[in-house]
Amino acid sequence: MALKIEKTFEVQEPIDKVWDVLSDPRKVATCVPGAQITEQVDEKTYKGAIKVKVGPSVTDYTGEVQIVRLDAQNHEIEILGKGQDVRGRGSASMKMTGRLRALPNGGTEVISVSEIGVVGILAQMGSRVITEVSNIMFGEFTKNFLARLHEPSDQPVEQAAGAEVTPIKATSVAWQATKGLFRKKPENVS
Amino acid sequence: MIHKTSPEIGGMGHSIKRKEDLRFIQGKGNYVDDVNLPGMVYGQLVRSPYAHARLKSVNTEKAKKLPGVLAVITGEDLAKANLAWMPTLSYDKQMVLATGKVLFQSQEVAFVVAEDRYTAADAAELVEVEYEELPVLVDPHKALDPDAPLLREDREQKNNHIFHWEVGDRQATEQVFQKAAVKASVHAFFPRCHPAPLETCGCVADFSRATGRLTVYMTSQAPHAHRTVFALVGGIPENNIRVISPDIGGGFGNKVPIYPGYVCAIVASLTLGVPVKWIETRSENLQSTGFARDYHMTAEIAADREGKMQALRVKTLADHGAFNAAAQPTKFPAGLFSICTGSYDYPTAFCEVDGVYTNKAPGGIAYLCSFRVTEAAYLIERAVDVLALDLKMDPAELRRKNFIPASKFPYKSSLGWTYDSGNYEAAMKVALDKIGYQQLRKEQEEKRKKGELMGIGISSFTEIVGAGPAHSFDILGIKMFDSCEIRIHPTGKAMARMGTKSQGQGHETTYAQIVAQELGIPAADVTIEEGDTDTAPYGLGTYASRSTPTSGAATAIAARKIRDKAKKIAAYLLECNEADLEWEPGKFYVKGTPSKSKTIQEIAFAAYTNIPPGLEAGLEAVDYYDPPNLTFPFGTYVCVVDIDKGTGEVKVRRFVAVDDCGNIINPMIVEGQIHGGLTEGLAIAFMQQIDYDESGNIQGGSFMDYLLPTAVETPHWETDKTCTPSPHHPFGAKGVGESPNVGSPAAFVNAVVDALSHLGVKHIDMPITPWKVWKVLQEKGVAA
Amino acid sequence: MAKKQLVSVKVNGREREAAVEPRLLLVHFIRESLQLTGTHIGCDTSHCGACTVVLNGRTVKSCTMFAVQADGGEILTVEGLMKDGQLHPLQEGFRQEHGLQCGFCTPGMLMSSYALLHNNPNPSEEEIRRGISGNLCRCTGYQNIVGAVQYASAKMAETKTAEPEMAGGAK
Repeated sequence: MALKIEKTFEVQEPIDKVWDVLSDPRKVATCVPGAQITEQVDEKTYKGAIKVKVGPSVTDYTGEVQIVRLDAQNHEIEILGKGQDVRGRGSASMKMTGRLRALPNGGTEVISVSEIGVVGILAQMGSRVITEVSNIMFGEFTKNFLARLHEPSDQPVEQAAGAEVTPIKATSVAWQATKGLFRKKPENVS
Repeated sequence: MIHKTSPEIGGMGHSIKRKEDLRFIQGKGNYVDDVNLPGMVYGQLVRSPYAHARLKSVNTEKAKKLPGVLAVITGEDLAKANLAWMPTLSYDKQMVLATGKVLFQSQEVAFVVAEDRYTAADAAELVEVEYEELPVLVDPHKALDPDAPLLREDREQKNNHIFHWEVGDRQATEQVFQKAAVKASVHAFFPRCHPAPLETCGCVADFSRATGRLTVYMTSQAPHAHRTVFALVGGIPENNIRVISPDIGGGFGNKVPIYPGYVCAIVASLTLGVPVKWIETRSENLQSTGFARDYHMTAEIAADREGKMQALRVKTLADHGAFNAAAQPTKFPAGLFSICTGSYDYPTAFCEVDGVYTNKAPGGIAYLCSFRVTEAAYLIERAVDVLALDLKMDPAELRRKNFIPASKFPYKSSLGWTYDSGNYEAAMKVALDKIGYQQLRKEQEEKRKKGELMGIGISSFTEIVGAGPAHSFDILGIKMFDSCEIRIHPTGKAMARMGTKSQGQGHETTYAQIVAQELGIPAADVTIEEGDTDTAPYGLGTYASRSTPTSGAATAIAARKIRDKAKKIAAYLLECNEADLEWEPGKFYVKGTPSKSKTIQEIAFAAYTNIPPGLEAGLEAVDYYDPPNLTFPFGTYVCVVDIDKGTGEVKVRRFVAVDDCGNIINPMIVEGQIHGGLTEGLAIAFMQQIDYDESGNIQGGSFMDYLLPTAVETPHWETDKTCTPSPHHPFGAKGVGESPNVGSPAAFVNAVVDALSHLGVKHIDMPITPWKVWKVLQEKGVAA
Repeated sequence: MAKKQLVSVKVNGREREAAVEPRLLLVHFIRESLQLTGTHIGCDTSHCGACTVVLNGRTVKSCTMFAVQADGGEILTVEGLMKDGQLHPLQEGFRQEHGLQCGFCTPGMLMSSYALLHNNPNPSEEEIRRGISGNLCRCTGYQNIVGAVQYASAKMAETKTAEPEMAGGAK
């Protein structure tokens, strides 16, 4: 099951400050609900985990995140993440491109394009559930990302490896998915 | 000659109420999940989320430690007993529990056994499996590419090709096509769908250490064949296996294959010495059990400009999934698909089918397909409509012009079948008159002027059932005869058992009516039993509409053997010669002196109390019937649709089904079968598909996505009949259960295409969803 | 495993009780704890309606409820339709009109029709089809089931078998 998700949002912070967070997988990981970076393998590769709960179904993915391309001048990052469920429930992969654009008002526009592939139990529920889960996760991510930006940049990365991560609770997903059937336009994240 | 019996006797032609209903309406049916044995435990399968992956490890430690868990079986465990693989009904083999790799999403990987089903579900969650993903193959057209992933590493032949099968005359057909004035062609995909009987598959396997016998209560349409396979595969003496098929909640071909769940439950019971129940969930049923169809077909018809058909050429790609588990007679890897010449007289024809493996669930023969006849009938009826469009001819007229005339039967088709009897024009006439065809065409003309979309679809199908004669038909080597054993009691009541197994077809009533017809014993006095392999005579089961043609025939022949013996007893009692006796249902009487008679009841009593010297006591007979040929039911269906230009929704306004299945045992039951099959055809034409995405994830794995029509979507069906008996069947019957599913998809699709043909539409693949129609309307600029 | 809870219900007029896990589905309670196997399971997404029973005067899909949710209530299952050895007009109707083939959907159909006729004793064909649209059938194509309900409706009007209170709960 392959999904392409494009999200754009604005923050008030200047582009360099935003880049500082976006270009560090460990800082970004703390913003993704249910995720953590457990180990840095080399300068481009990290090991990580993410726990996704959809109703009673919990999937614990562990895998790798790789920085494929880092362009500090143009403020572009491309990462590749791939993980398998520890119990053998399935796998997921994501290729994400993040790009920053300085706005005339001093703020920054964050443009992300993600291609997500899901194999296994979650994919059987259909793209509508996966899209809703992604939307909910993205909503939480932006909230966390904004909060992270407001912290002093020299704060140590909060999450220690192996800490208990709160799984994203997608009990609201069913409701969102149903609502989604009747929505005309996708929600905009602001 | 078929005597007319009185309603009290209830022989052929009487719509007597069903005897089996009494327990069902009280909720006292005995389905497999209703079976509860002392000490019974529950099994559940762990399944693969991946369509194609190496199996690196299966860790069962956590699962085994859960309180209440009795065992966790893996492929490795089974491999030690040589049971990790089992034969399929197509001489392929299939993994019971995966070893080495998995080949389709939802494939069986481990089996947990626990004290109750909730603990079993908990334990299944605790089994940890490590996989290494492999490239996935879901497009059958790519299966034979040189760089296609190799699915079946266990085979000697290292590619994804299962078989090539051809029949007919390739050269002669080619020559006709080269010279033909008109060549019509259609590429028709028959999507993968699933029969989804309301009761899922399951079993209770009960090995008793006290008796050494294994009893398996099983959702089985073919209990004897299953018993023999268990004996051969499991090495258990066949006399120590008893398969009991109790009440079955719908089969439709889904309950013919042997599934890993059954084998695991049996192994668990043999190991633990207690009964093990395994009942699959609906999702498991849709995702792993025998699917239907998945045929990519191309048909070409060569004809002259007046519409006389000269040749038919067919090429098909068959997607069989990961294992060839299609259940069909050995010599026919594409089933009876070569019936694709249909109701038409083709001087020459050629047909070829190639089967391939893909990373999908195994199966192929199911859902009232009569062994791929649904695919064949759909293809030819679509092709004929395309030819009619090309020639700008009325589709009814084109069919009439090419029907095999009634005078040509028995008819040898250019693809090798000898059709027993038929009168296609008569059936079509009844259908067209009943629907008011001419009036509808006028209405369509008027509506087109106003931009309204209305279509009329015709399907004049011929199908082929009653497998089959021993010279050509066997499943895993077992010939496809069938059987009946009848015993008359001293008080004139009777009991009869057959080798078939009803899953709702009403055998407890219809077989009793055959006995009633032949012996004049009221059907109410005849008890019918099927499904217990300890007591029923050997048979190949019920599917492909074969029961009436085979066991029904055996019942009549066995009854006639009894009648022959009864005649001897009657002659003895009446002190006359057998030659002086006449028969009418229920009694023998002396020619010219009807008052000198003996009823069958008096004769039965005498068989135990006043036995003629030299004759054995009792009044019973058994027959194993080898049908001389298959039978060929046929009919014409006409469908009228209206299309909503705003939503693309297709409304079936009217549907007339005229069926000819020869002589009918119980008209009420036949009509019920037609209603049900038409509803399945509707579902297939408009709403059903089991599809896979590019990663092999199943789409359509539950009733959320795999749709069944409710009473609201289902239209009112109008049925009628003609009667052209089978000349070789003991009472001229042909079988009918699958005809409605064979004939109707084309009627629906032809109607929709007919509604849009004036816009240049020639074909739309099933399922014809509103979305598909809406897109066509947009494309053609007529959407509202 | 959570501690078992006592569930007490009146089923087909009789007081029944059993100690069950809180997560035990009502359908399993009926089929296994009470051994009333007439109520069937046909799916795992609440679509098929084979598990339909009447609880406190309304039809429910017993696969989508926990047994503990029914505590203190009144249930009517298919086994409770017969009275004093006499078939309910609906049961008669299903037999007379050939409204069943394999019988698996039949208990659910009977319970849905029972509730339908209680609320609407003289339904049109459309109302009947809508009334049983929560019950799937693979064998009959629904046509004769509609006929069965019409038979029962006529029979009940004739013999005035309408019950003031729907069995299986006050309403």
